[in-house]
Amino acid sequence: MSLSRSRALIRHEMKLQLSEWPNLSTMILMPLVMIAFFKPLARLALTAQHPGANGAEYSVPAMSTMFAFFLVAFIGFSFFMEHRWNTWERLRASPATNAEIMVGKVVPAVLLCLVQQGVLFGSGFLVFGLRINGSLAGLFAVIVALAFALTAIGVLLAAVVKNEQQMNVIGNIGSMVLAGVSGALVPLSVLPGWARTVAPFTPQYWALRGFRSVILDHGGISSVALPVAVLLMLAAGAAVLALMRFRFDEPKVQVV
Amino acid sequence: MVRAAATASQGRQSRAGQTARDVTPPPERVTHVMVTRDMSRRTLRFDKGDAVLSVVGVEKSYGRVAALRGVDLEVGRGEIVGLVGPNGAGKTSLVSIVAGLRRPDKGTVTVDGLDVAHHRDRVGAHLGLAPQDLAIYPTLRVRDNLVAFGELAGLRGRALRERLAETADALGLGDLLDRRAAALSGGQKRRLHTAMALIHRPPLLLLDEPTTGADVESRNQLLALVRSLADAGAAVCYSSHYLPEVEQLRASIVILDQGQVVARGPLDTLLGAHARAVVALVFDGPAPTLAIEGAVADGDRLRLPSDDPASTAARALAMLNGAAEHLVGVEIVRPTLESVYLAVTGRRYDAGGQASAAGEVSDVAVA
Repeated sequence: MSLSRSRALIRHEMKLQLSEWPNLSTMILMPLVMIAFFKPLARLALTAQHPGANGAEYSVPAMSTMFAFFLVAFIGFSFFMEHRWNTWERLRASPATNAEIMVGKVVPAVLLCLVQQGVLFGSGFLVFGLRINGSLAGLFAVIVALAFALTAIGVLLAAVVKNEQQMNVIGNIGSMVLAGVSGALVPLSVLPGWARTVAPFTPQYWALRGFRSVILDHGGISSVALPVAVLLMLAAGAAVLALMRFRFDEPKVQVV
Repeated sequence: MVRAAATASQGRQSRAGQTARDVTPPPERVTHVMVTRDMSRRTLRFDKGDAVLSVVGVEKSYGRVAALRGVDLEVGRGEIVGLVGPNGAGKTSLVSIVAGLRRPDKGTVTVDGLDVAHHRDRVGAHLGLAPQDLAIYPTLRVRDNLVAFGELAGLRGRALRERLAETADALGLGDLLDRRAAALSGGQKRRLHTAMALIHRPPLLLLDEPTTGADVESRNQLLALVRSLADAGAAVCYSSHYLPEVEQLRASIVILDQGQVVARGPLDTLLGAHARAVVALVFDGPAPTLAIEGAVADGDRLRLPSDDPASTAARALAMLNGAAEHLVGVEIVRPTLESVYLAVTGRRYDAGGQASAAGEVSDVAVA
């Protein structure tokens, strides 16, 4: 695998992502609006256990996690756009290998997630009064694991779905549903029992659990070991499935 | 720009398929072409006889539909092979297999000596593909579209900037580099589409219907550039269903029909072997019959196939007698590639890329 070609593809993909800046800005502006909207409600929900909480301790990680998973569809669409523009075969016929093409898609996706989370948590700190009581390194570890997990899921979705409409439904509606049952829309404590049972089967639950450890529970780096491990295992599993299922020569069609 | 300091042109011999009507003359001695690349200040030498692309016995089916049935093809350095045939003839399947995008069911393809089946990852550096459908990044600037494929081919820094400017200028995109591709006209998009295949100057160019949807200016610019690249030593496989374009390129012709090569060779040789001129006498009423071999009365026209149109016309005029007063015109129809296509397939070729049975056509002006 050529490092210089991989870098060229990463630069190229980042240009493509930046050229879609209205979509990208939505991924950042919308959660900021939602944080402001949910913060008072979150404060009410938290005050029983955390009297000094201002609500940002829940609303910032919750909205960050929920909107991070909208990137799953965004990552999947990056493959479908290549097919829609007929550039996928052009890339495949170029000197780039399949592995380099995949690296060119995956690395910018991970970076995109890191930037999104960085902006949201940074805004949480600067604008919404978020305080991190525990380990900052732990917070970063959860964010990185989350980025790997959702990128792998995005590639897996691109591998298994046949068209953009399927990607749209599974990626976006799926993210909303999982956000609901994982406790990203409302705190897990107020969800029905069946939802609390299902929640640990969602990646969002583990991301939120890790964030809660370092933000509210004064947790150190070791406190996020389990959530990070679960997210990384999920990422690895999705990546293996994606590699097994992804067909570079499979046409992806757009249903008109 | 690439400038040929000296050129040598000769018909390259193509490997004959079992069913092909090979009319290629015997191969000439290998000569050298001196090419100066102004940009790199280097002088490159190309052995004109080297086969950059070699396709042997390639077969490909999609389900029960056989797209390619034992295709053989060679393209040498400095040679343009015009791959012609109607829609569905197998041109795009063949181009896709050569580019490593599809695997053949049988047969081998080598590009610059590399077996595509075993070295797909390395073959990409040796070819430039402009697929049939427009393939550009509409949300990126023209410059970024070109830079992406230049960088993938290993161009960096000054070399990349110079090659970018050179390619853009050659295709009339020099003033559009900072414009988003989506904002280009149809012809400009088509030129960008082709430029992305050319920017790294690969030894083999695969251009699949590159002028589809292009305006006259774009078409002429593309054809001139393709010709100059071939003169500089590039091997060009130019797939088209627009026959006059292939004639304009002075390409060697390979006619693909229903997945098989049915004729190949230089245009003049094909014309000599498969097509004759036609003398057409036009009357103000139904055309009379004449006792001349091959004469066909067709409405108000009398068609006379001939290898010597002037003599045939003179002879026919002398034989008209009383019918001469109804004669309103004499036309000499020179043979074209379409004539060859009709002769070797038995079907008429139209510019829309569809072949139709000759019996359905009443105004075929070929012998």
